Order: sequence, then C-alpha cells, then structure tokens
Amino acid sequence: MKGDVPRAQKAPEPDAAPAKTDSVVAEFQIHRRNYLDAKGVLIGKPPAFASDSAIMKSLYRAMTLVRTFDYKAVALQRTGQIGTYPSCLGQEAIGVGYASVMNDKDVMFITYREQAAQIWRGVTLTELLQYWGGDERGCNYSGPREDFPVAVPIASQATHAVGVATAFKLRGEPRVAVCALGDGATSKGDFYESINLAGVWNLPAVFIISNNHWAISLPVEQQTATRTLAQKAVAAGIPGIQVDGNDIIAVREVVGEAFARARSGGGPTVIEAFTYRMGDHTTADDASRYRKAELISAAWKNDPLARLRTYLANQSWWSKEDEEALIAECKDKVEAAVAEYSAIPPPRPESMFDHLFETLPPALAWQRKKLTEG
Amino acid sequence: MPEVTMVGAITMALARALQNDPRVIVFGEDVAKNGGVFRATDGLLERFGDTRVMDTPLAETVIAGMSIGLAAQGFRPVAEFQFLGFMYPALDQLINHASRLRNRTRGRLSCPLVFRAPMGAGIHAPEHHSESTETLFAHIPGLRVVIPSSPSRAYGLLLSAIADPDPVIFLEPTRLYRAQKEEVNDNGQGLPLDTCYVLREGRDVTLVTWGPAVKETLAAAQQLAAEGIAAEIIDVATLSPLDLDTILTSVEKTGRLVVIHEAPRHLGPGAEIAASVAERGLLSLQAPIERVTAPDTVVPLPRLEKAYMPSEKQIVEAARRVVTFS
Amino acid sequence: MKTFNLPDLGEGLSEVEIVNWHVSEGDNVVADQPLVSVETDKAVVEVPSPYSGRIVALHGKAGDIVPIGHKLVEFDDGAAGQQDKGTVVGVMPAAETPAQAPERERVSGARVKAIPAVRALARKLGVDLIAVDPTGPDGQITADDVKRYAQAMSEVGPPKPLHGVRRAMAHKMQQSHAEIVPASIHDQADVEAWIASGDPTVRLIRAVVAGCKASPVLNAWFNAQDMTLRMVKNVDLGIAISTDDGLFVAVMRNVDNRDDTDLRDGLNELKKDVQARSIPLEEMRGATITLSNYGVFGVGRSANLVVVPPQVAIVGAGDIKPRVVARDGQAVVRRTLPLSLTFDHRVATGVEAARFLKAMLVDLERSA
Repeated sequence: MKGDVPRAQKAPEPDAAPAKTDSVVAEFQIHRRNYLDAKGVLIGKPPAFASDSAIMKSLYRAMTLVRTFDYKAVALQRTGQIGTYPSCLGQEAIGVGYASVMNDKDVMFITYREQAAQIWRGVTLTELLQYWGGDERGCNYSGPREDFPVAVPIASQATHAVGVATAFKLRGEPRVAVCALGDGATSKGDFYESINLAGVWNLPAVFIISNNHWAISLPVEQQTATRTLAQKAVAAGIPGIQVDGNDIIAVREVVGEAFARARSGGGPTVIEAFTYRMGDHTTADDASRYRKAELISAAWKNDPLARLRTYLANQSWWSKEDEEALIAECKDKVEAAVAEYSAIPPPRPESMFDHLFETLPPALAWQRKKLTEG
Repeated sequence: MPEVTMVGAITMALARALQNDPRVIVFGEDVAKNGGVFRATDGLLERFGDTRVMDTPLAETVIAGMSIGLAAQGFRPVAEFQFLGFMYPALDQLINHASRLRNRTRGRLSCPLVFRAPMGAGIHAPEHHSESTETLFAHIPGLRVVIPSSPSRAYGLLLSAIADPDPVIFLEPTRLYRAQKEEVNDNGQGLPLDTCYVLREGRDVTLVTWGPAVKETLAAAQQLAAEGIAAEIIDVATLSPLDLDTILTSVEKTGRLVVIHEAPRHLGPGAEIAASVAERGLLSLQAPIERVTAPDTVVPLPRLEKAYMPSEKQIVEAARRVVTFS
Repeated sequence: MKTFNLPDLGEGLSEVEIVNWHVSEGDNVVADQPLVSVETDKAVVEVPSPYSGRIVALHGKAGDIVPIGHKLVEFDDGAAGQQDKGTVVGVMPAAETPAQAPERERVSGARVKAIPAVRALARKLGVDLIAVDPTGPDGQITADDVKRYAQAMSEVGPPKPLHGVRRAMAHKMQQSHAEIVPASIHDQADVEAWIASGDPTVRLIRAVVAGCKASPVLNAWFNAQDMTLRMVKNVDLGIAISTDDGLFVAVMRNVDNRDDTDLRDGLNELKKDVQARSIPLEEMRGATITLSNYGVFGVGRSANLVVVPPQVAIVGAGDIKPRVVARDGQAVVRRTLPLSLTFDHRVATGVEAARFLKAMLVDLERSA
C-alpha cells in the first residue's frame, strides 16, 4: 500500500527457483470496487439505487448531520462540556453506507469512531453526547435495543459479533451480525480468532474495516506486511473485498452483497473500506506530532461529502436552497441535542451499584448506602 | 440416589440444565466429541446434539467473547476452559466486557454466562495446569466466583450459576474431581449462591476455606477434635460476593480465625476476609487472624507440589496457635 | 499574520453570502480544508483553506454578504502548534510546584501490649493499662491481668494527690535518696545528772555545736556536680518541727554564738511561727546541719534519718527514759538520751562521724 513511510522489510526470496515438483495449492485475488470518483463523477455503471434521488439525498442528509454533529462535539470538548472525543471527520460514507443497508433486526458491533452508523441506526445525538460526556445512560439506546455499545479495547467487539451470529444461526434467523473495526484492529488476536470462527462455523457475520490509514500514530504500512487488509480474510477461508470507503455507492453495494450472502447461509465476509482520518485520533491527541499537514490537505480532495454533493448537483437533485435548508436543519437538531444533554441532571453516585448485577447482593448493600449518605 | 464423584455431579448438573432450559448451550475445546478432557461433558453431545453441545477452535479469547454475544442474545452459554492456567486470554473479555455489559448499558444488555475451568494443584500435572488465581476474578466488580468442594455442592452450585442472570466463574478443584463419592439427588435443585456453608460446628476456632483446601481442613478438624479443640469449618463457596455475616457470626462465637487457601498468600482472598473481619469483628477476636496458604512463589512442578499446597499439619498448627494465644 | 481574502469564485460574481463556517477561531487547519460554505447564484460551494495554520480571526457570520476580495480569514504566521497535552485520552493535572519532602513524624516510645478485646475491657472497667502488670507472653497484658487490677483497685480508696508541705516532703526525700550516700552511728548519753531540771533541746543544740567543733566537716555544704565542699563558719541549725500539716524544718541561725536563754527564746519563737504558719521562707533555708528530736513523741531508740542536700549530716535524738546501763561493773538504771548521727559518706568518714558523736556524748554527760 502506498504511503509516506517506507514499507516494512520483506523476507528474502529463496535462492533457487521453485522445484518443478511444487504444485499451486491456493491462490487468491482481492477485488476493489469504486463507482464515484473523488470529483463526484461516475466510473462505470452504478447499481440501481444510485439512480434513486430519494435514497441518494437521504444518504447525503445523513452524512451532513454526522459531520455537523462531529464539529459540534469537538467544540464541546474544547469547552469542557464533554470529555475526550474521537472525531469521525471524513469517514461518514462508510457508516451511513453500511448502516443504511442493515435491517432493524440486524445487530451492530462497533469501535469508537462509528458515530455515522450509530446515528443512522437510531442512537440519538443526546445519547452520543451523554456517552462521550461520561454518563453510562448514553449506552441505554432507546432505538437499537440489541446493538452493542462502543467497544474500546480494540477488536474485542469481533468476538461478540460472532457470538451473536452464532445465536442467529442456532435459531435459524436471517439476521446479520455487523462488526465495524479499524485498520489497527486487524492486527489483534481477537480479530483473527473471530474471522476464523466465523469461517469454520459459517456464521452470518460481516466484518467492515474502516481503513482510515492511522492507528493513533502508526500508519497502516507499519501495521502489517499484507498488501491489503481484505486479504486477511483468506487466512480465515472467507471472502474479502476492498472498496473506496468515501464512495457511498460502492460501499452500499458491497455491503449489501455481503449481507445477502450472510442472510442466505452463505457465511461471513470481510470488507476493507478505504478512507482517511481527517481529524486527530481524539481531542487529546496532537496528530501534527506524527503526521504532515500535506497528507491531510491531499485527503480533503477525497472528501466523501463533497463528491456526493457534486454528484447530486450534477443529477440536478440538489440546489443551494436544499443545502441551506439542510445546514439549518442539522444545526437545529444538534443544538437541540446539546440543550437536551445539558439539561439532564447528573447521575446519582449510588447509581454505580444499580446495574452491577440484576439484584444487588446483600454483601454490597452497605457500600451503596454509604453513597446515598454522601 | 446415585453416588457420584464431583466431576460426575458436574455432568449431571449440565445435563439437567440442558434438559430443563433450551437456552443453555455448552461449548469449549474438546467438550463435545471427547466429552471434555476430564469427562465433565461426557455423553452430552449424544444426548443433546451438536446445536447444544459444541467443539470450538483453539481460541480462548473468542470462546469468551462469543459467550458474551450469545448471552446478550438470550442464550445461557456454559463455556469450558480446559484449565484455569489457560483462561488468561479470556480475562480481557471478562474484565472489559462481561463484568460491565449490564452496568454500562444500564441493564439494556446483560450477560448470563458461566465459565467453567478446573483449578488448583495436586494432580502431578505439567506446568501451568495447577493455578489457583481465583483472586484475579474475585477482584472484578460484576463477576461472581464460585468454587465447589463436594459432589453435592458442585451439582447445586452449578445449577444456580447457570440460572443466574449475571456472569459466573465456576472453578472446579481438579484434585477433588474424583476424590470423593457422594449421593447426589438429581432433582434439578440449585444451592444458594452468595452464601457460606458451615460444614462442621465448633466452639473453639473458626476455619474458613473453599475448594481444594476443604479436604485438608476437614482432616485437620478431626485431629484437632482428638486434642480437645472443636473447630468450626466454613466453606465460603461463593468467593465474591462474599457472605461475611456467616464468618462474623462464627468468629463471635469462637474468637479465633484461620483462613486456609491454596492461592498464594499475597493478596489472596484470605487477605480480604482477614481485613473484613478485623474491620467488623475486631472485639470478638482473642488472637490474631492467621492465614494458611501456598507461598508467594511460582507454582512448582510436581516434585515440590506437596510442599507448596497447604497441609493438614500446617492447618492444625495454626489452629493450635490461635487457640493457645493468651 | 496572513490574511486570506475571499477569492474570485468565477462566473462574474462580485459578492457571495456566507452560509456556514466549518471552522472556528483558534482551530488549526490544513491547506484545502473547507473553511466556509458560501452561496453563489447557482450553488453552495465550499471555500478551501489556502494554507495550513492556526485561525486567528474569521470575518463575517452566516447570512452576511461578503464582496469578492474582502478579508475572510486571518491566519497566524509561522507554526503555532497546539500545546502538547501529553496524553491521548482525558485531562491530566500538571504539577505547578515541586513536591515537598514529607515531614517526619516523631513517635514517642513505650506502648502497652494488649489485644483490642483486652483494651476494650480495660476501658469498660476504667483501668489504665499503663498501671497493669502484664503476665502474658512478651509483656502482653491479658484480660485476667486487667480484671485482677480492677479488683485490687476496688479495694483501695480513690487516689488523692499530695499537696503543699507533704508534696514538698515527698520531693525532698526523693531528691535526697537519689543523691546522698547515708551511713549512721548510734549511741546514748547518760543524762541522769541534769535531766530533772535541764532543758533537753537546748542541751542538744549545745551538744551539736560541740560536735561541729570536733568535726567541722559535718557542718558543710556539698556540691556533687562540682565535687566541691564548702565549710561553714557558723552553725545554722535546722530544727525539725512537726505540725498537723506536716514536717517543717526551721533554721536557728548562729547557734554556736548564742547562750541558753537566747536559744530557748529562739526555739519558742520558731515553734510559734511554725504553728501559726507565719514563718517566712527565709527562715526555712540555709541550714548547715539538722537536728530531729523525734524522741519527744515517747518512742524511738535509734533512727536512720534523711540527710537533706546540700547538708552532709543530720542528728537524731530519741526518747529520754530510764534504761539499764553498766556503771563500774554494775547494772544500774539511769535516764539516757539515744543519739543517731546520719551522715553523707561521700563527704565524711566514719572516724569523723564518730568524733562528732563522741563530742556530743561528752557534752551531754556534763552535769550542766
């Protein structure tokens, strides 16, 4: 993979040419899909939904809301109203892309940069602010009741996804466990164990890797020796495919195919979606310590929102009035969420004990009582 | 009523749970076709089929993580880890997820799972097969740690663990698996968790223990009785949450406490018990609290196993010391 | 400071309306990052940043009309990087002043050894553990020890502190005991010749003077710190006087230069003042030797009395009564006066003491 840092050293080639008695026992190919280029121009014939203005505009609206929220969240952290926050700037197309193809009854497992998918799935902006503001009540989703909350330990959510996929399989349900991970997660044992189990048990699990090029300060070229992340699926014996993650048309199609395969008993898929982390790792990180500004400037040219907006405009589906109205609407929604979040009374100290077990054991009752006495 | 060993009682309990509750599933390495390396799951695959009893790949992390996913979806997974010494890759999932899922979703998702593993030394096994690190789990809020010491208690406690709506780590003393036979009524009745069991009553000294050390403690009590010292024996059974009240009531009566465990001394569960009794039962104490434990060393290979585990002699001497303390 | 003016967006536009800022003052931006969305005739377009840098000022707000070429954004010149927070999550407090070395606490010594149950029992019974004799191993106080002590204490009266003269006596005697090395010689004088009509106390005083003349070393002050002895010319005699309030030692000055009448008057004066407790402090100080006439209470044949530093001797006179003595080889009954001389053996020898006592005997056995 190209990048601004030297590739990892390759193992030396054997001295002799392969012996004639060798046979090729396995080969693999990794495909990459792209419909909308960086300038918003179609390459080749896209899938049918790309001609559906209602769908395409709804995707653009969703991405804009995500970005509006994301800018606001960063600003809230700077003014001390929420805690450390990981911006998803630049990655909106992946989350909106796959979440918009999921069924209500599918279940999602995420890392901490999936606000786009969470918002589409019905996690409220207020709940997001609550979680990043340091209140567990933000994980008690009013919308997607079975989705797992953010998994901070990297790739650990992959193991939950295969457990839920096993449940679907045992019950014979046409539901999919959708696991979102980052590029760094593909180095973790949890990831390998999970795709391995998904493969050998033929589970309805789809692993969507947002390759945003950075794991805090480690660029993906230094994360692994593989040419693609999608090919790690080969090690699990399952299909792997790459897609331009800033091209929402391609993302939706690839993900849709993977879901259909899983639902029909065809098993799991690994999808590698290319994008770029436009912001710092979190609001506490200073990426200028390890990342040159020129790289981000170059990445802005691939902005998923700009290219989709251009596409919509080129189809004559989107006017400046639409843009203004959308911006205003998104601002209102975000402001309303901030107001709602700020008005929520803080959690009571004794609530630390309230969901430790289904019933608080008597052995702990005195500790809870102490907190009520202040 | 059948007379069974502890491992037989565990099989009985698993079968009973699989039969009574369709949500229960059993999986782990070598548990289905092979019936488990200690035969704890013997015959279950034949009875219940491969959608209830499953062999997994060799991957403790995903065994633990998938249990969480299954539990959140309403199953009651009972995962077997081949030895406590091989359970450590599961700690990340246990500590970072299983123990917290209910708490961090405010009850929206929960984790009714059981992780079973053989624990403790005494079977002359190679390295890493003799661990007694139950304190690691007992230290984590949101986890239950249950350790049986007899066939009937293994049966009853395991049934309750499976029925419990929250995660339970069920550690089975390997050297007690076949050490004792007992009549166990396969009536599907669970025994209460979160409570200590008084195995023997006495006025002179309280001996608190659990799991493998119960065997030596019972033997020590016999010897002490011959010397005129009546020991009361408490089997903690559920290490966390701890039933301190039963221990305090006993210490109030005897004034003297010895805690016995095979876990190493430093920060072993005995330290928690001693500190708690010192906090709440100080004026009952007529002597310092003593702990009889394994030393703070790496578990030795089998040649030194006997020297490592707490012995009947050490328990008797400790009891004598606290009884004769003026 | 670098200023970015609204660039020509083409299509012959002279002005645009600001729709939405994407950045805020203080943000670090990179080149090509969208700064603001503006509305042209046909569309809403994004204006990208011309350079990387920190935004110092934004000009115009949403809804404002901005002419082409107008000041739009001001950037900080030169690299003004973010301050490194030194973390990737959370907010860490930073120390402003260096940590102080911790103060050492001085803990005083001897503590009592007892288990908590025994301490609670002691509290309940009102027993001070310091006073209890431990019989447990390693000096530990047992419950039985506490009970025993409580029982013993219940059989005695409550503790009463000593006051005044009694307290002073306790201190003085303690001090004497700590310093003095006492030795005593005892004898008796045959006073039959004058006892019917004489004044025993005055005769005793004269006898002490005789003793001091014979052995002046016993009329002196000793300073143990410097190991110095001060011989005194006069005899200022301390007279022990007993009252209901306790023991007083009043001083008669210059007894070696006073006649009998003067001595008798002086004695009476002192006695009166002491009884009335009107004796000034001056007259209780500075004795060079002391006389204790304990015999006036009708008992006592010899006594080892207490030498009060810096004095080096004290003379004790016992009960005068008829006793069997040997005279010219016969046993006869004569009235005798027992004498004791206790001296500080650091200062005086046995011979010096004997000489003193002999002189007293000789003087007391004169008929007048």
